[in-house]
Amino acid sequence: MSTPGRHPEEPALVPENRQRRTLARKLAYLLAGTNYVPLPHEQFEAALTEVVDELCAAALAEPPQPERAALAGARLVELNCTSDKSLSSTMDVLVQGLLALPELRPVERFAEPVVRVVGALATGYVSAAQRETLEQQQGMHASLLKAVRDAKYNLRSAQARFDEVATSSASGILVTELDGTVVQANGAIAAILGHPPAELTGRNLFDLVHQDYAPVLREDYQAVLDGRTERIKQSQRLVQQNGDPVQVSITASLLRGTDEEPSHFVTVVENDTELVLLQNELSRQALHDVLTGLPNRQYFTTQLETALHQADPHYGLTLLHLDLDAYPAVRDGLGEQVGQQLLVLVAQRLRTSLSGEKAVVARFDGAEFALLLENTPTTPLPASLVHTLRQELAEPAYVGEHGLPASASIGVVHRPPRDREPRELLRDAHLALRRAKAAGPGQWELAHPEQIRRDRELDALAATMPGAFENGAVEANYRPLTRLADGAVHGVEVLLRWNHAELGPLPDERCRELAEVSGLMLPLGEWLLRTGCQQTGWWRRQLGRDLLLTISVTPHQAADSDLVSRVLDVVEETAFPPGRLLVALPSLALTTDLGEARGNLAGLADVGVRTAIRDFGLGSAELAAVVDLPVDAVWLDRALTGRAKLPDSPVTEALRLLPGLVHRAGAEVIVDGLTTADDAGFWLAAAADLGMGALVGRPGRADELAATFGDPRWRS
Amino acid sequence: MARTPAPDWVPPSIDMTVPSVARIYDCLLGGSHNFAVDRETAASLERFEPHARAAARLQRAFMGRVVRYQVSQGVRQFLDIGSGIPTVGNVHEIAHQVDPSCRVVYVDFDPVAVAHSELMLRNTPGTGVVQADLRDPDAVLGSTAVRRLLDFSQPVGLLFMLVLHWIPGETRALADLLGHYRDPLAPGSHLALSHITRDGQEGRVDGVADVMRESRSADRFTARGYDEIITLFGEFELVEPGLVGCARWRPDGPGAVTEIPSINEYGYGGLARKP
Ligand SMILES: C[S@@+](CC[C@H](N)C(=O)[O-])C[C@H]1O[C@@H](n2cnc3c(N)ncnc32)[C@H](O)[C@@H]1O
Repeated sequence: MSTPGRHPEEPALVPENRQRRTLARKLAYLLAGTNYVPLPHEQFEAALTEVVDELCAAALAEPPQPERAALAGARLVELNCTSDKSLSSTMDVLVQGLLALPELRPVERFAEPVVRVVGALATGYVSAAQRETLEQQQGMHASLLKAVRDAKYNLRSAQARFDEVATSSASGILVTELDGTVVQANGAIAAILGHPPAELTGRNLFDLVHQDYAPVLREDYQAVLDGRTERIKQSQRLVQQNGDPVQVSITASLLRGTDEEPSHFVTVVENDTELVLLQNELSRQALHDVLTGLPNRQYFTTQLETALHQADPHYGLTLLHLDLDAYPAVRDGLGEQVGQQLLVLVAQRLRTSLSGEKAVVARFDGAEFALLLENTPTTPLPASLVHTLRQELAEPAYVGEHGLPASASIGVVHRPPRDREPRELLRDAHLALRRAKAAGPGQWELAHPEQIRRDRELDALAATMPGAFENGAVEANYRPLTRLADGAVHGVEVLLRWNHAELGPLPDERCRELAEVSGLMLPLGEWLLRTGCQQTGWWRRQLGRDLLLTISVTPHQAADSDLVSRVLDVVEETAFPPGRLLVALPSLALTTDLGEARGNLAGLADVGVRTAIRDFGLGSAELAAVVDLPVDAVWLDRALTGRAKLPDSPVTEALRLLPGLVHRAGAEVIVDGLTTADDAGFWLAAAADLGMGALVGRPGRADELAATFGDPRWRS
Repeated sequence: MARTPAPDWVPPSIDMTVPSVARIYDCLLGGSHNFAVDRETAASLERFEPHARAAARLQRAFMGRVVRYQVSQGVRQFLDIGSGIPTVGNVHEIAHQVDPSCRVVYVDFDPVAVAHSELMLRNTPGTGVVQADLRDPDAVLGSTAVRRLLDFSQPVGLLFMLVLHWIPGETRALADLLGHYRDPLAPGSHLALSHITRDGQEGRVDGVADVMRESRSADRFTARGYDEIITLFGEFELVEPGLVGCARWRPDGPGAVTEIPSINEYGYGGLARKP
């Protein structure tokens, strides 16, 4: 504990003056408001006046003397002015204040020395603060160690507990008669000395000590017995069975019987090399996650800070934030322990997959991991980095008999600006991770400043959507759905469009995204359905055709417990035949059974509405959903439609087979995103049923459809 | 599985994965005498009370003033109960600035805090450390350090700074307990205490209690009201300005108060003298 009083220093070179004192007072006021200063305020002001004097002297010297300023910086640390913003605000006040002092005029002449001196103050401050942190942490570890040892002295009451401690202890323990005869020795001391424990009993403790030291040690034990000291703690040299000396620390104290009379000595022997190991282990633990042995968030953040400064400015660094998708399911389904084993396995895989890089892998909370790479010319770019990690994780992880999925969602920050704070970077990575997760399991996203801006814009835009809806700027669009076999129009899909005054028309997907954010989707969705039913009902009558109306719902709507009744109300109100309405629910909501999604689908089927699964992919969970749920159609993921173009790809092959499988489950296949005649040809050959996309017809207002088809009856 | 166990002979009372009040407080005061788990708990506390650091700083400054005042009244020996991790501005440092012959005994039940104090005070004459639970006054008052260093025929400054809200239960029982400490003191002795209050800030203070409950710490937080806290002084006579928000107890500069009124009143502080 340092006592920050006045320094017994040489008198200030320049006499004190009023303006300097004012500056010191200003600084004192500022610092005392954000730091705990262990001095009465007027003493603190005096101490800072000395600091200001030192800085002036340093700046006035010819040449300037930054070393003196560095000492002044260290002095601020000594005064405990180490809170977050202390340094930067001190520098601000000083640069301005010093340059306003008459002795440091003209500014042109002193600006440079003042800036240098204040810079040196900052350097001195930072290194003193680091030193202090380090000292405190080391002191803390020493205290921990001491507490552990002291706890071991408190053995005198419970012999039973002693036995337990002794046998399991990694430190050697000897219990001796008051004359030094060993009555009990544990395995650890036997190992240190190279004797079997049984052979130690009956021998004399002082014979186990190097003979030069034995007499002194005997005296020390006597002092404990006489009550002159409470315990012995010292370095000693013991002699091993083979005659080699071994350096140890011993601590010895008296054991007392129930009558409080001294009965034995207990001597704890620690191999010094082990002690060092323990100390390392303790500091490792404070900074590492116990389960996986990886650095924890705390440590990772400091590594990140260092890396930000050290990384090659040209290549920068890459930060990944990763979350195991299946972990909650594994933990809840198979238990905490299996979950933990999964985490350990993943930790190992992450470490090995980056072994060629200058990388830090850390575990955050739950199933979240963070990776930090200091990039080199050979470091892969984010896309291939993610690819490698995913491949590494894609191998099912075997825990006992369970093969567990280890896929992860990943947020990536690539080459951030060097002046970005570690905390902000972690937040960026986390935001990107959230976006990735929103896109479904196993996705990844890059955090770009412009993407972050886009997120903010999205929020702002979402906030104005309800107003736009009120004002009629959000309208219904339609696009045709044709039967692939004959190209005939089979029905229409109703979509959203927002004619934004500045941004122009925003398409359906974007509207839904915004409406989900703002919570507008439920009322908006109902309005869209009603409008669609009215319009399509009109077309059905005009054209005398049995047109189908399809509408998609968002995950939020799919999970809504009122979905079925909302749909029924609209259908009744508009007198639309339920059997000609097809409601498509997103597959993710169904396979993860978000809210009431599965129940809703069954409920819709019960009242005679047709149902579909949209964003349908190749996953087994999705196929199972077609079989298990009353589904009339599946709506292929648009991304997959495009994949069908690659010849010889296994994906193409799987897609070719998909319609057959779906048909066997009793459902039809809708292919979205058809752009060319070739697309249509492939899917017709694969026996898909219905198609939509640019090839078939783009979305438009009701009256625009009439123009598309060149048939006035399509007019609204 | 690659699990690194804690060294198996670390006793259960010393568990680095359990946060400790002493180390959390050190962290809030800007110290580095703490472990990751303490920093995490401090961060959770700060979510409930964004000005927690300012509050800690103010409390510590109050302790400085209350000790300095007692020294000015002639008190030369102190018993600091619930002393925590020694950071800057410990009782003996403040007292020794005025009179290096002052004697100070520190008491805490946290083994790591005690070990730390012992290491720090090894070479400081006139100081001692006791590991004891304050709920056991005999263990505290009968300890070797207290008997060796404190002379009960002379005034003693008894300090319970920010510790009594860690003693749950009826205030009446707590007042009785403090009676055991007050009784043996000579006239002219003082009792100083600071205690976080629920007065006017139920929701926020309850958040703090929740954070502690959710952490693995066994310590439970009990904020009390003015009417309860004032009973703890017993027959001792309160020194002006009485039991007040700590910032309002004889403030001596910008470090004593903040611009945040609620933080100025976050805990009550008071000093009373044995007639
Ligand atoms: C917030 S710290 C206060 C430190 C110091 N008194 C100050 O005001 O700066 C509270 C301390 O009280 C200790 N403490 C809590 N309950 C205790 C008890 N029953 N007996 C002794 N000490 C206790 C804790 O270990 C901790 O170090």
